[in-house]
Amino acid sequence: MSTFAPPARPFRLGGPWRWLLPLLLVLLFLAVLLWLPWQARQMESNERQEQLIADTLWVEQAMRFQLTRNEDALLTLRADLATERRDAVRARMEQMRKNSHELLRIDWIDAAGQAVLSSGADGAPALAPVSREAAELARKTERPRYSEPYSQTKGAPGLMDYHLPIFRDGRYTGSLVGTYSLKTLLDETVPWWFAQDNAISLIDRDDGAVAQRAAAGPGRGVYTHKRALDLPGSTLRLATDSVKGAPRLLPNLLVGSVIALALGLLASLIALWRHIARRLAAEGALRQQMAFRTAMENSLVTGLRARDLEGRVTYVNPAFCQIVGLPADELVGKAPPMPYWAPEAMAEYQQRFADVLAGHIKPQFETIFQRPDGSRVPVMIFESPLVDSKGEHTGWMGSILDISEQKRVEELNRQQQEKLHASARLATMGEISSMLAHELNQPLAAISSYTTGALNVLGRAADEGTGVDAALLRPALEKAGAQAQRAGQIIRSVHEFVKKREPVRQRVDIANLLAGIHTLIELQARKYFVKIETSVPADLPPVSADRMMLEQVLLNLTRNAIEAMQEVAPERRLLRIAAGLQHGQVEVAVSDHGHGIAADVAERLFSPFFSTKAEGMGMGLSICRTAVEFHGGTLTHRENPGGGTVFSFSLPAQQ
Amino acid sequence: MLHIVDDEEAVRDALAWLAQSRGIAARAHASAQAFLDEAGTRFDDQGDCVLLDVRMPDINGVAVFDQLCTRGLAARLPVIFLTGHGDVPMAVDTLKRGAFDFFEKPFNDNQLMDRVEQALALSREAGGTAAVQARLATLSAREREVLDLILTGKMNKVIADKLGISMRTVEVHRAHIFDKMQVKTAVELAGLLK
Repeated sequence: MSTFAPPARPFRLGGPWRWLLPLLLVLLFLAVLLWLPWQARQMESNERQEQLIADTLWVEQAMRFQLTRNEDALLTLRADLATERRDAVRARMEQMRKNSHELLRIDWIDAAGQAVLSSGADGAPALAPVSREAAELARKTERPRYSEPYSQTKGAPGLMDYHLPIFRDGRYTGSLVGTYSLKTLLDETVPWWFAQDNAISLIDRDDGAVAQRAAAGPGRGVYTHKRALDLPGSTLRLATDSVKGAPRLLPNLLVGSVIALALGLLASLIALWRHIARRLAAEGALRQQMAFRTAMENSLVTGLRARDLEGRVTYVNPAFCQIVGLPADELVGKAPPMPYWAPEAMAEYQQRFADVLAGHIKPQFETIFQRPDGSRVPVMIFESPLVDSKGEHTGWMGSILDISEQKRVEELNRQQQEKLHASARLATMGEISSMLAHELNQPLAAISSYTTGALNVLGRAADEGTGVDAALLRPALEKAGAQAQRAGQIIRSVHEFVKKREPVRQRVDIANLLAGIHTLIELQARKYFVKIETSVPADLPPVSADRMMLEQVLLNLTRNAIEAMQEVAPERRLLRIAAGLQHGQVEVAVSDHGHGIAADVAERLFSPFFSTKAEGMGMGLSICRTAVEFHGGTLTHRENPGGGTVFSFSLPAQQ
Repeated sequence: MLHIVDDEEAVRDALAWLAQSRGIAARAHASAQAFLDEAGTRFDDQGDCVLLDVRMPDINGVAVFDQLCTRGLAARLPVIFLTGHGDVPMAVDTLKRGAFDFFEKPFNDNQLMDRVEQALALSREAGGTAAVQARLATLSAREREVLDLILTGKMNKVIADKLGISMRTVEVHRAHIFDKMQVKTAVELAGLLK
């Protein structure tokens, strides 16, 4: 897990194609969807049209067949006209009409157009103009011919004549004329199933209907067909018009449901699309976050180690590997005892591991790890519970700091502090010794004067031969003795101070401490003629401290206080040392009426080598603070309400 | 009278005892200001001398000496400085400006007392001169003329001629002069002004 490989990138269409292709497919799908019903309709329409055409052809054939049969019958009749008797001819005519209802009448006319023999409903009517034209053309061409359709009166059923010219010895002798009722022709030749679905009409050359059959109502005009009957001399055409309308675009539920499904598909596609887009964005963000995290973990100098609830290592980062000097694959999956546990601290690890299994853990502790080369690394470990996305506690995450450098610096600091203490003590001694020379002069001078004076008295008594007045000499000698005592005390206190020894914690009584260095403080104070006031409550508990260090702190503070007052009026030069008990702490305050401390000075007051004094080393307060903190106390300063400054340190009271 | 000015009580007391052992009248002053308040108000016939400690809280010894100089008392109050360690250059400087002597502590006490006696004698002498000068100052201009002629050994008559006044007037002047100068004879007067 020490390296992070990005997941293999699946093949994907890049760029605009990713979006364009599905879009095109969807459009194509929609186009096909729209085209298909239209196509189906078109096909249905074509089919019907074709059906109509076929049916129309069939009707035409039937019609033509009927007409041809009649033509044949008339031809046979024409051939027999010369030989047959008139009665027989009439009978055959009647027979023909019976067989073919569409034949309204059959006439035999002579060359002048007069009826020779007629078979039909009413007598022989005059031929219609179009019929006469046809008769004329038939005679000229010597071929049978149909007339154009006509009606006897306006609105009457359409009729049509068939003229069969009769020649005898190459001479026109007349014609056989068959008159068709077109309506009857339709009724007879069109089958009922066709008439059920279509309006059938016979139309002349002006598209005017001359006969019509529309059993199921008029045609819709959607499927129509016109076909010429191809009768010689006639332009009569057959027209059919289906009663069926055009097929509907969405003729059934199937297409509707397909479209509904397609729309549903489209909607879900879009939803899927958006979901995928969101997912991709989230994935991208996650990947970026992951890369960021990995980079962060790899760049950390803090070791990271995750363990599951059984204490098995599940993850380590490179920094951790570096701290313990083992590669990640030798660590991940390992259960205690760990390869980096030092043998001498095994009991401690086991105890802590047992705690981990029990579920309680120290959030922060110091221990040591062992590297494969046997060297030891002091580390600081911070542990916190590892909680997964469901909020379940799955293990522990620990960050491990290599504190060997810190330890080394601490050790170095400690040594330097010790050296500083020693040199500061010497510096203080230097100052004190110069005062000492002056101060020792005083008692020595006094002693000298007393003794010289005493000798003078003795000498004079001897000269004059009188007795020595002891009462005169005694006080002088007593005073000389007292001064010698004083000189001794000064020397002793300095000697005590200079004595070098290891810091020893002992019971220190503040009153006693102050008494011990009072002479030294007086020495300091005398230089600037400062009055000293001391107040220590009788019931003040002692503190546990190194006596010499406390003395040094106090002497530093008193010296500073005294020097701060050298510029003020002599009557205000008062050094006050007050001790008291506050919140279980013994507080010792040294106050002066000096110049006070400017804000910018206050900021750097405790920093080493900072001094406001021309000859100062700037070590005094720095060392004082260190010394006080060494004893678990604090050194602070505040403004003295009566002017000047109060420095105070507090130490835990010893019970 | 020996004036001891030192803020250190033991030293003050010891010096006073030493002076007494030599038969010198001594007076101890606890502070420079106390001494300055009193200085010049009274002089001893036996002469005066000041033992001045250089380092003192209120006014230091040199400042006291400077004040005595400005007040014109330096001659009547010879100053012996008592210096501590390291004050020697300063003490030498005061010597040049007329201090009587300086002693660095610790000092030889009887040598100090010898110098004190010498200083007292000087003071006494200075005190005498000062008294004569003060008496001379009380004479009128005519009396000064008469005095000068008396000191040349002239008789009353010669003086009267010389000044163009009567013998009687000269005698009156002479009586006034002897009276003001506190002498009884001309010989005594000459001794005082020699």
